[in-house]
Amino acid sequence: MSIDFTQFDRFKVTFQKGDLIFCEYEPGDTFYLIQSGRVQIVKIMGEIEKIIDILHPGEIFGEMAILEEAPRSASAIAIEKVEALEFNKRNFEVLLRGNPQIALKLLQTFIKRIYDQKRRFMILTLKEPAARIADVFLMLSETQSSEAKSFKERVIDTSVDDIAHWCGMSTSECAQIIEHFANQRKIELESDKIIVKNINDFERFVNSRRQQ
Amino acid sequence: MPQVMQYQAKSIIYFEGDTSEKIYILQSGKICLNFTDIETGQEIRELVKTGEFFGVKSALGRYPREETADVIAQSNVLVFNVPEFETLFQNNIRISMQMLKVFSNQLRRIHRKVRNLLSFEEQSDSEKGLFNIGEYYFNTKKYKQALYAFRRYLTYYPTGAFQSQAIQYIGKTENYIQGQPVEKRESIVDKPLQKTVKKVEKEESRLFFEGMNYFSQENYNEALNSFKTIVNSYVETEAYPKALFEIGRCFYSLKQYDNCIKHYTLLIQKFPKHPEITDALLYLGLSCEAKGNKEKSLSFYKKILTMGDDSSQTIRKAKQSIKRIEGNL
Repeated sequence: MSIDFTQFDRFKVTFQKGDLIFCEYEPGDTFYLIQSGRVQIVKIMGEIEKIIDILHPGEIFGEMAILEEAPRSASAIAIEKVEALEFNKRNFEVLLRGNPQIALKLLQTFIKRIYDQKRRFMILTLKEPAARIADVFLMLSETQSSEAKSFKERVIDTSVDDIAHWCGMSTSECAQIIEHFANQRKIELESDKIIVKNINDFERFVNSRRQQ
Repeated sequence: MPQVMQYQAKSIIYFEGDTSEKIYILQSGKICLNFTDIETGQEIRELVKTGEFFGVKSALGRYPREETADVIAQSNVLVFNVPEFETLFQNNIRISMQMLKVFSNQLRRIHRKVRNLLSFEEQSDSEKGLFNIGEYYFNTKKYKQALYAFRRYLTYYPTGAFQSQAIQYIGKTENYIQGQPVEKRESIVDKPLQKTVKKVEKEESRLFFEGMNYFSQENYNEALNSFKTIVNSYVETEAYPKALFEIGRCFYSLKQYDNCIKHYTLLIQKFPKHPEITDALLYLGLSCEAKGNKEKSLSFYKKILTMGDDSSQTIRKAKQSIKRIEGNL
């Protein structure tokens, strides 16, 4: 989908590296479409600043504030110099009328985030840490191409940090279990990916734990 | 073109777990969506209203179906493929706005469920929440972010409960930002502050920042070296009194209480109007207390209470210390 953005120049905003674009708990009525640079979505949970997501050009953030009256649920920080289009409630509907592609993009953003959160919830309800990790493998393979799905061996692009985040576990605890899976030859570890030998084994394992 | 399909009672349009790119609108009849509630594990049955879409998320996101679509009574449905649905969605602002609202709401609810599960304390008071974010960034020395949060706090809550604290934090944060070397500083300050930024990086600012960095990593010996270099070589600079103060903190953190007492005693004599004077007194008190001299430490803490114009945090700490000692006497 290509959108001609030149007509939106008046909505253009620029942030420098390290700028807070908006802050958790702040009332907000603007949302952003990234044109260049990356944005980190973070949330302070207890004593740590947790990175929830890293967004790239073409992605939308801050969208929840437009449709509902609620404060920001996370903070957005510019990782590098960021150029974005800033929209607000007032010009939102006008914007959609003239540019329905943006509405569609928003819809796709919502759908992806609802799915991610729902899947995360299901992972977190598993009591056994090993089952949580296995369920992350399942989740990450669910959205693979149908060609990839015809094999029981799956290559998953992920890192221990990412998996730990999904599971709500510490990286070290997570690394230990992943190593254990590797020792059992259920998976192979490479620097930026994990090869799951037989996804069906993990599916059976997760299903047996979910029913408990 | 979307097609009208007729389904007989007791038939299934799709099963949970299926993958498909079809999206449906119920035109007439009775259809039920069956799914498992992710929170309770209970089977839930939800009737589709006439005119309502179903199968949207799984088709657009290419995810497995999350529910089974069960035909209760003979029904007519309009079936779209993804491009057809996208065309409809883009050409009908009323439908798209409505659907976006529904999904936005779903997203917020599922967010809340995940947070409850992770049992993070959700701050329901946004005013306090925003102030806490500022404090978090201040404490982790991310001064740029802290400044943003405190300024926002004052914008939204100009007469809020944390108003005076926020103002104090802003003052401190600006000081810290100015204590950092220029290249760091330029990206940190916003326009009004930028005027005070000098273009040439000064060696003593670099050293001071280096010292603060070591200190935050609990590498007190290295920090001490950086601050001592400033005190020995850059006497006439702004960094000098600041470094002098930090040396005392290093001594205290290294448990060199005698050195700490000697150092702060000299500092107070030399700079009776030092901006950190109450903190210096606090460290004097803490050092005496650590050495077992409770009487003397009490006199320092009580002195702090008479200097009411300082940040309340120091006074609070002094009060707590007095309680602690008097409780033990």
